[in-house]
Amino acid sequence: MDIEKKHFTCVICPIGCEIDVELQDSNVVSIEGSKCAKGKEFVSQELKEPMRILTTTIRMKGAKWAMLPVRTDKPIPKRLLFMVMKELQNIELKAPVQMSDVIIRDIAGTGANILATRNMKKEREGKSV
Amino acid sequence: MRMEADVTVIGSGPAGLVAALHAYESGAKHVLLLEREEELGGILKQCIHNGFGLEQFKIDYTGPEYAERLIEEMERTDVRYLLNTMVIALSPDRIITAVNPDSGVFKVKSRSVVLAMGCRERPRGGINIPGTRPAGVYTAGVAQRFVNIDGYLPGKEVVVLGSGDIGLIMARRLTLEGAQVKGVYEIMNYPGGLKRNIVQCLNDFSIPLYLSHTVTEIRGNERVEGVVVSRVDEKMQPIAGSEQFIACDTLLLSVGLIPENELSKGAGIKLSPTTNGPITTETMETAVPGIFSCGNVSTVFDLVDYVAETGMTAGRNAARFAKASKKEGKSIEVIAGENVRMLFPQRYSFEDDLILFIRCAKPIERPLRIDISPLDMHFKRLYARPNEMIRVKVLKDRLKDITEPIEVNITER
Repeated sequence: MDIEKKHFTCVICPIGCEIDVELQDSNVVSIEGSKCAKGKEFVSQELKEPMRILTTTIRMKGAKWAMLPVRTDKPIPKRLLFMVMKELQNIELKAPVQMSDVIIRDIAGTGANILATRNMKKEREGKSV
Repeated sequence: MRMEADVTVIGSGPAGLVAALHAYESGAKHVLLLEREEELGGILKQCIHNGFGLEQFKIDYTGPEYAERLIEEMERTDVRYLLNTMVIALSPDRIITAVNPDSGVFKVKSRSVVLAMGCRERPRGGINIPGTRPAGVYTAGVAQRFVNIDGYLPGKEVVVLGSGDIGLIMARRLTLEGAQVKGVYEIMNYPGGLKRNIVQCLNDFSIPLYLSHTVTEIRGNERVEGVVVSRVDEKMQPIAGSEQFIACDTLLLSVGLIPENELSKGAGIKLSPTTNGPITTETMETAVPGIFSCGNVSTVFDLVDYVAETGMTAGRNAARFAKASKKEGKSIEVIAGENVRMLFPQRYSFEDDLILFIRCAKPIERPLRIDISPLDMHFKRLYARPNEMIRVKVLKDRLKDITEPIEVNITER
């Protein structure tokens, strides 16, 4: 069976290790170029199912700003990013919200929660936006 | 109205927040933080992506989370801050003139001052793109503000000029929001942003990156209808015949950041022609005693962690100066030598360890050595790229007997 070579740039930290992988029969034979253990984990995961943290915004009523920044509390499969974006599209929240509040549990069956990433106070009534 | 302070920090982005916090923790009693926007945090508030604080806190924060953490830490201290407050002048004897809706124009007499105003984006006028002047040409950071804070999508078919980190981040962000990003065009033959952002912002979404390309014309009347892109030669001149029209309704510019130094110039602070920021020593003190400078107003850093590190140093030393106006100490020059495009700081004053931030002049994709002369000191690296700042630390002890300038050279091994 031929050896298949693959190249990855680790995105776990700003160093961005360039990692070379050799595969035989879909099994990893060697992983080289990673400065830490996380790089190896990253590559193994990339081979199985690439996972990413999603950061985006949700529409917000009653606050100073129109959008609340949010994130998934853990990486979700890359192929589901657009599906999650779609689910979040039609949601509208009401202020106030605290940072780390769970906005949605188990988004789109990924097992990840959507968390607020900042505090958003309620804007005093009558104040124009 | 006239106020007094031990340390006044101008700007409450990551550099300013950390500087204020550390000035306070280093014993300055009256620390005042001035912010022109209506809330603290600076640009972090619109940088909703993660990747902040990995080196500093070992946690993968988003921009707003990182800001919130610093703000919470600061709120536990007696640091005073004023919002909606624009500093309009700074004098060499550290009198600040500011204005806000509550007090009108007022002055602050401060024992020391920390400059933390950050930087601005280079606009279309800064690169002279020919063509019409339609709506739909934005700097990447402005588009980021529209999308992440105000909730508007700036366009549906987007071309990005320049591969700086904000441009890459916005290419991903707009794609996730349903826009089609047709490509990122970079005039240099290497990318401007971090490699990890090329991977996770472009490759992840199959957005093409064209190196050695630039936009040579903008077309459209009311609104952008498209741009002409051309390949460029080694001298970055467009190659005739390589023009290609790309239909789009939006052009994002990510073509560089410029430290915002109007106040520094007004105070008579000498700027460096390579960083466009104040010339400082390792304590972050500028050429004007008692005025310190940190973060992206000094030089544009790759990572918020580096910005915070300089803020910490500036805050600590500003507090020290406020307590006992430092004697005129000696200092020597730190010189950018072979293969070094940018070097920060530019002077060494024998007070602290010397933490050097270096950008190489061209990509070197093979093992190299960073030599610190006249010390017999070398740092080895496997590669160096202008888009990835190098940070090295030289301990104070090693430098104490030096009399001649320090020179940093990068040589291939």
